[in-house]
Amino acid sequence: MRNKNMTHRTILRRVFSVILLILSLYIIILGVIELPPYGAPDNPVHNYVAQRYIEDALEDTGVLNMVTAIIVDYRAYDTLIETTVLFTAIMAVMITLKKDPSKN
Amino acid sequence: MQTIIAKLITNYPYVGAFILFGIGCFTIIVNSNLLKKLIGINIMESSIFLLFIAASNIHGGTAPILDPTNPEAVYINPVTTALMLTGIVVSLSVTALALALIIKLYRLYGSMDAHVIFMKRNEVQNSGSHNQQ
Repeated sequence: MRNKNMTHRTILRRVFSVILLILSLYIIILGVIELPPYGAPDNPVHNYVAQRYIEDALEDTGVLNMVTAIIVDYRAYDTLIETTVLFTAIMAVMITLKKDPSKN
Repeated sequence: MQTIIAKLITNYPYVGAFILFGIGCFTIIVNSNLLKKLIGINIMESSIFLLFIAASNIHGGTAPILDPTNPEAVYINPVTTALMLTGIVVSLSVTALALALIIKLYRLYGSMDAHVIFMKRNEVQNSGSHNQQ
């Protein structure tokens, strides 16, 4: 069954997608070359925002763990409303999997 | 050419992340099984998490938990870690909803293969139009 499905068209599609992916990965790798070096302390990622969180998190929130301070204190509303995302996903799953009562 | 390769070796986590992204993209395009497509989506999400977490790293830095005994410690960037925690929640929701939809499709058509489902849908539509005539 598996070999029967491997028609000429499937193989052609596979080859075409490999070529397309290699081309797009080549362009992305060209972008990786331009990225700042990995692990350097003066990368643009480590700007004043991260510096402020590292220096003032203990005074502002009283939490030793900075990730906890960001998630539960600085961005508390973000985390609170993030539970809505989970709630919506669970509701959608339950609606999708609900059996139709009219069929029984 | 040598400088390009040297830069790629310095940025090896980014290269790994984009190779993972390519693997996920290839999985989605090539496989017609919906579960395998979902696995491909999850691999792509993991590659983005890897990219962000790698971008926050500093050589010789420690995890961003304040250590009062060592005031000289260098901490890595806590912002990207917090962002990726949000991303993991979204990815979990997407996976749960996609799995539920796949279960529903399997109950309706008896198959998880996108081509088989497409053929069965066409058959149902064709027989429906015949009945109307």
